[in-house]
Amino acid sequence: MNSMTGDLLETVVKIAFVIGLNLGFFAPMLGWVERKQSAVMQDRIGANRAGVFGFTFIGLLHSAADAIKLIFKEDFIPRGADRMMHTLAPVIAVVPALAAFAVIPFGGKFELAGHNVNLVIADLDVGLLFVFAIASIATYGAVIAGWASNNNWSMLGGLRSAAQMFSYEVTMGLTIIGLVMYYQSLSLVVIAEKQVDFWHWGIIYQWPAFILFLTCAIAENKRIPFDVPEAESELVAGYFTEYSGMKFIMFWTAEFIEVVTISALCVTMFFGAYHLPFISPDMLVSIFGGGDFGAIVAMLIGIGVFVAKICALIFLQMAIRWTLPRFRYDQVMALGWKIILPASLIWIFLTGLAILLGLMPTV
Amino acid sequence: MAIKIKKIEKGDGLTLWEKSYLPEIIRGLGITLSHFATNMKSLVDEFALGKGRDSRTIMTLYYPEEQPVIPPAYRGRPVLVSDKNGVEKCVACGLCEAACPPACIHILGGERDNGDRFPRSYVLDGSRCIFCGLCEEACPKEAIVMSDEWRNLCQYDRTKMIYEKETLLRSEAQVQKRLDFIRSNSFSRDRY
Amino acid sequence: MSDNKHNSDFHKLHHTELLTLNMGPSHPATHGTVKFLITLDGETIEHLDVEVGYLHRGFEKECENQNWNGVFPYTDRLDYTASALNNVGYALAVEKLIGIETPDRCAYIRTIVSELGRMSGHYTNLAAGALELGALTAFIYFVEARELLWDVIESVCGARLTHNYVKIGGVFSDLPPTFEGDIKRVFARNRELWDEFAKLLLRNRIFVDRMRDIAPISPEDAKAWGFTGPCLRAAGVPYDVRRAQPYLKYDKLDFEIPIGETGDNYDRFMMRMEELNQSMRIVEQCIEQMEPGPVNVNDPQWRQPAKDNIYTDMESMIFHFKNAINGVQVPKGEVYFPIEGANGELGFYLVSNGGGKPVKCRVRPPCFQLTSAVSFLVEGAMLADLIPTFDMINLIGGECDR
Repeated sequence: MNSMTGDLLETVVKIAFVIGLNLGFFAPMLGWVERKQSAVMQDRIGANRAGVFGFTFIGLLHSAADAIKLIFKEDFIPRGADRMMHTLAPVIAVVPALAAFAVIPFGGKFELAGHNVNLVIADLDVGLLFVFAIASIATYGAVIAGWASNNNWSMLGGLRSAAQMFSYEVTMGLTIIGLVMYYQSLSLVVIAEKQVDFWHWGIIYQWPAFILFLTCAIAENKRIPFDVPEAESELVAGYFTEYSGMKFIMFWTAEFIEVVTISALCVTMFFGAYHLPFISPDMLVSIFGGGDFGAIVAMLIGIGVFVAKICALIFLQMAIRWTLPRFRYDQVMALGWKIILPASLIWIFLTGLAILLGLMPTV
Repeated sequence: MAIKIKKIEKGDGLTLWEKSYLPEIIRGLGITLSHFATNMKSLVDEFALGKGRDSRTIMTLYYPEEQPVIPPAYRGRPVLVSDKNGVEKCVACGLCEAACPPACIHILGGERDNGDRFPRSYVLDGSRCIFCGLCEEACPKEAIVMSDEWRNLCQYDRTKMIYEKETLLRSEAQVQKRLDFIRSNSFSRDRY
Repeated sequence: MSDNKHNSDFHKLHHTELLTLNMGPSHPATHGTVKFLITLDGETIEHLDVEVGYLHRGFEKECENQNWNGVFPYTDRLDYTASALNNVGYALAVEKLIGIETPDRCAYIRTIVSELGRMSGHYTNLAAGALELGALTAFIYFVEARELLWDVIESVCGARLTHNYVKIGGVFSDLPPTFEGDIKRVFARNRELWDEFAKLLLRNRIFVDRMRDIAPISPEDAKAWGFTGPCLRAAGVPYDVRRAQPYLKYDKLDFEIPIGETGDNYDRFMMRMEELNQSMRIVEQCIEQMEPGPVNVNDPQWRQPAKDNIYTDMESMIFHFKNAINGVQVPKGEVYFPIEGANGELGFYLVSNGGGKPVKCRVRPPCFQLTSAVSFLVEGAMLADLIPTFDMINLIGGECDR
């Protein structure tokens, strides 16, 4: 096998894995988690009626039932809507959410049969910038959906989402400058590698950045408490009021995948990426006897740890979503510009000061 | 008794600590997640360890596997009560027809050979009935009572909701619970 | 600047225009059916018109065709979140017209079901308030509390929503023997849920920012708009019909009237939260003070007689048949009787010509007056403020539109 074919094969497998993980596992599972977790938090049992031959699998089949139902539903485009934009908007929403995953490492670097395997689709030097750049594109999905629907409620939702997402993007970039200064790199792969040592996990020195970043990220994802663009009691369903069938499910999927992406980013930057605490991948390889077998086991453990950490953060995000009330539109903006932006600037200053004084040794 | 006024404490609003959002978010998460934990424990207790219903902290009734407990006061479908011979007690006096607010009862009275009055036809339009129980109250013979039947009250076809005498007839044993309830709790002499 | 805004030149100059929106009649926030015609300047409400009447079903006309007793099922459907209160109000009005007094135990039972009804109304309102701010878990906690309450109500009244429990001169049945235990169990759980609900929202800055100082009203304005109930008390006026003109057993019960300061949404919310506690206290006191005894007026002319008497007592039989067919012959006259409903003063104005049917059965629905003030409250506020304000006003379609 020459290295070209090997690289190609590796990339294809990795892309298939990431897309499969997101669309095949996380998106439907999140539908289930959202229903069941909220249900158990609220003293209910949640949806459990969809079944095959009487087996309901604690409601897991509802995601499949939803997907089948929505695929076969009429695809409705309101009169006076811009047909092309109306169709394009959900695609614009869902693709960036997936694309951001390209630069997130989901496992370490291993040597497998003489071939270097790096478990990230694109090892970019400016991975973080890429994520933010891609996230900006997702804004257009909501805005175009709101505008193209020819509905006043949708337009209000689209406008709200435009303002909200643009402001939070600015802030989100600033919240993790401190982290970048700490790790001295914009590459997510490098940041992940530097967290081999438990005491270098981002959360330990950079926990304020984590709180700020998570807030911005949830705001960027338009979920409660920041769901003003789709606030169902105010704007019916905001920018996707006029969507049905498969297009609706695409917005839904985009939202869920963004939840996963946010969790993955947080894990990569703050929670030691694919590392177990105190055990480095090299140690894992040697524990399992070294060689290809050891590498594969260590790789699988790394991926498993990564997914498990993502799941924990998803749980946290879901819990937040089902606990809090919603902001008002102007309060969201005030929070972004008047609290989080100054706070992240202050944090950048403090991090710089600490690094300069040697209180926060860079890695 | 004197008027007591309680002024709601509004204070100066939130403390700076509370204004930072975080403590209250964490407290809120604490409440919802503690519900999550207790409910998960009760689910495990009930379905994995088989401890039964008593350990359940979840509100939901697992309908239709479990059926709701209907109190005797419940007003379900009004039914006609038959005597020991399986013949309706109704004497077609028409009081229920007159008392019924939405006018859903239609009676056509007749006389038997022995001179007893009986309803030649007794039609209760279930699509109009509002389950108020005034027919039961008006009936001097305990011939119509509100049963605990709540299934099939809704139909896709309105003609199926028009009940004839034959479909409404129940033996005394079938409505014993309700009869006991109204005899002891509603219309007995010691309630007056 | 603000004057300029209303000038059409301003919009021409800035290439903008005001946005006119139809909010409702079917909109998630308009529980019940009501329409707002909103003129928006960005997110700010420039002008708002409330259009009610979508749930009009001719209650007053319907009553003219019913016996005095046959009106009860229709009163259930006025404020359907607290239907026991409507029953009680109507029964008291008719009894005032007739001039009869119900036995002690009956009055206590009526007090209990009124308070249970008030609680159910407040639970619904507060839960919906949380829901409309997006706090779904808080919503479900109060729905759970209401559900437990409804189980008790069902075991007393026979229905969860449309009780039709109170009758002229009495109540349908005595309290079931399980009642005391049920109340103890349910109130204990409801107090827990109350605490959790309060902890989830009341000190949370997101909630406080959404509710505090939103749509405030001064006591003078509130009185001028005809506010009653929690909304008036939130403005700081300690007016409660239960204390101002005590009826039933309220003069023997110890409870507090909560009042607020500024009449904003937060105060309105807190009024209802506090009244839940007071209602629980009232019910517990009633259970303590209550003694066994009759629950109906022993006079077949007004209250239908015991079933055993119908065939054994001549007078009972005559009145039973006459009243069931022609209705209770309420003496000629007219009467107004207010009670404290869940939303405020719920008054029944009845006119009788001495026959078996009311000539006029007019309801003073508390939320009609409140709804009329919505535009006064929210003009100049933001679109998102309309939702909690409207919820705290608590328009109940069945009651407002009748």
